[in-house]
Amino acid sequence: MFRIIKKSLKIGVVTGQYRRAERSALPVSPEVKDKTKLFKRSLAIREVDTGSCNACEMEMNALLNPVYDAERFGIHIAASPRHADALVVTGPVTVNMERALKDVHKQTPDPKIVIALGDCAITCGMFKNSYAVTGPVERHIPVDIRISGCPPRPAEILEVLSELRKPTV
Amino acid sequence: MTEARPCDNLLKAAFPAIVQDDPVCGESSHFQVPKDLLPAITRYLHTQPNLRGRLTLIWACDHRPVRDTYGLHYLFTLEVSHHWVVLSIELAGNDRLFPSITPHVHAAKWYEREIRDMFGLIPEGHPDLRRLVRHEHWPKGTHPLRKDFPWDRVLGRQQGEHRFRRIEGEGVFEVPVGPIHAGIIESGHFRFSVAGEPIMQLELRHFWKHRGVEKLFEEQTLIGAVPLAERVSGDTTVGHSLAYCQAVEPLLDLQVPRRARYLRSLFLELERLYNHLGDIGAMCNDTAYALAHAHCGRMKERIMQLNDRLTGSRFLRDVLRVGGVTRDIENRQLADLVDELNRIQPDFSEVGAIIFANASLTDRLETTGILNGQTAWDHAVMGVVGRASGMDCDLRRDRPFAAYDELPVNVALYRYGDVRARLRVRGDEIHESIRLIREICSKIPDGPVANELSCSPNPGDWTLSAVEGWRGEILYMVMAGEGGRIHRCKVRDPSFVNWPAIQWAVPGNIIPDFPLINKSFNLSYAGNDL
Ligand code: SF4
Repeated sequence: MFRIIKKSLKIGVVTGQYRRAERSALPVSPEVKDKTKLFKRSLAIREVDTGSCNACEMEMNALLNPVYDAERFGIHIAASPRHADALVVTGPVTVNMERALKDVHKQTPDPKIVIALGDCAITCGMFKNSYAVTGPVERHIPVDIRISGCPPRPAEILEVLSELRKPTV
Repeated sequence: MTEARPCDNLLKAAFPAIVQDDPVCGESSHFQVPKDLLPAITRYLHTQPNLRGRLTLIWACDHRPVRDTYGLHYLFTLEVSHHWVVLSIELAGNDRLFPSITPHVHAAKWYEREIRDMFGLIPEGHPDLRRLVRHEHWPKGTHPLRKDFPWDRVLGRQQGEHRFRRIEGEGVFEVPVGPIHAGIIESGHFRFSVAGEPIMQLELRHFWKHRGVEKLFEEQTLIGAVPLAERVSGDTTVGHSLAYCQAVEPLLDLQVPRRARYLRSLFLELERLYNHLGDIGAMCNDTAYALAHAHCGRMKERIMQLNDRLTGSRFLRDVLRVGGVTRDIENRQLADLVDELNRIQPDFSEVGAIIFANASLTDRLETTGILNGQTAWDHAVMGVVGRASGMDCDLRRDRPFAAYDELPVNVALYRYGDVRARLRVRGDEIHESIRLIREICSKIPDGPVANELSCSPNPGDWTLSAVEGWRGEILYMVMAGEGGRIHRCKVRDPSFVNWPAIQWAVPGNIIPDFPLINKSFNLSYAGNDL
């Protein structure tokens, strides 16, 4: 017990110890912000992997570590699409995942937004035109926000997500 | 020419009909085998007590347009000497059948199904001929790795349903999970048959994320395909790109400068570090011990930020190239790196002590998800999972690559095969990696970090390379094509071998323990599905 307390005291608060995002990602359009108004200050995200190389997932996971701690902005990961406000999709949509992606999209209650995370989800990246890939996410479901990078840094993802939650003026 | 080895003599004495060929790469023997003898030879190689060959890879190759044949190659690693034995058979003309070796070499199961899907060659006598990579909705007759299949063909769709193995009986019910999971995990499907709490059977259905990586390689040049190799499995960026580079370099007759070899080892160890730290945290998280998860997540983040500062990429992307590395790391930066690791090591030791002092946590870990030594051997399991089940193999020691011939590695080995053993292997390897990085930084020689390309490859030449990534053995087989292109590239992530084994670690456990067992294996879906 004392060991645990000692350790926690020694480490202190690490949240925020990261380099801020350099480039500002594509601005979130006013229409999308309008859509997210209902979510108020919280955002429940469902992550869907449609064929990524798993680096994009890892950066999503990193958002939840104490350094980025996305939960302090009210962002959390929902276990089911039925609880989600937003879908984050990573990877080019493979032939095998196409159905699953459409199903998840259908099952997410409206209003919802779709975030394409990473170059693969936006353009298919290196996997473009492969026989096993059916196209970028927007070919199958409407995409509201695009976060480019291969993979985008967690700071960049966080920047966009927290932008979403800022109240519109 | 290498002298005859005892294993060669044994094989030739037992099977006079086989023909020895030139070795394909260092420390290996290569034999041409008549097709009908294959099951007997593989059984001999696998079970003969002096050989004990572990099936390491099976791959096929369509030789068109040069020759109208298919080649099938079987790679075995001998247990004691770690020598490689490659057996090759050829299917000429319209012959589409090859003998299945699965009935006595269990580890061949998925490889043969994969070859059937990708090439349309049929393993005769295989006990399970359901589709593996191609899901049932793929139209009949699509075999993407055949040379007459265009890489950008648009696939149609047909009706079809996957037949799972069923257990029937009173009170037995099925629990399907996936392909999309509750956490931030990759896509894959698990089907449990349970009676009450305990799991009776788990069946996997993967390959949701099949992106056609091997076919995409065939559209690349030998020197240009490193970025694709980096994206086979993102968390193993260095492992895959290193294995790829090492496969291509002998084809181009390229030597890698010594400093570059040291840097390659350095990057590989950094990758091992951040992944193992993350895994230990994630395993603690699955036992609901959030404190350890937070500490490990913090340390993992520190290493990833360190990677970013050193190379400009958190995943160490774009650091490797054919012939060396793309950027030098200054000695001052190396000193900083060692300083940082000197701070992280005691930090990690303290967290480790907290983890193992927690009785309710270790109670969850012990005797959960046991993969016993015999099952591990039968499935040719390797890497972290293998070393937790008593498989004493680590390529860094057994077949040194990069700078490991000058850096002796202490291999962590546990026998019990439960979740705790897998956690311990990772913990030990973290300390070992930090030690290795220190040694690398003190021993690293000065000099250039890359050699330039001088000659062009011979079409039809091929080599194998193996790298001990953080998950285990990564294998690449690269065959050169016309004009510096790739004719065939076989990628084998350790996940492909370890996934089937997880089905044997689960029965008897309860479903709530499955996420924990799965995390303790932590296999790549992307690297498996390709
Ligand atoms: S965008 Fe890059 S990091 Fe993300 S899934 Fe694609 S290849 Fe991987």
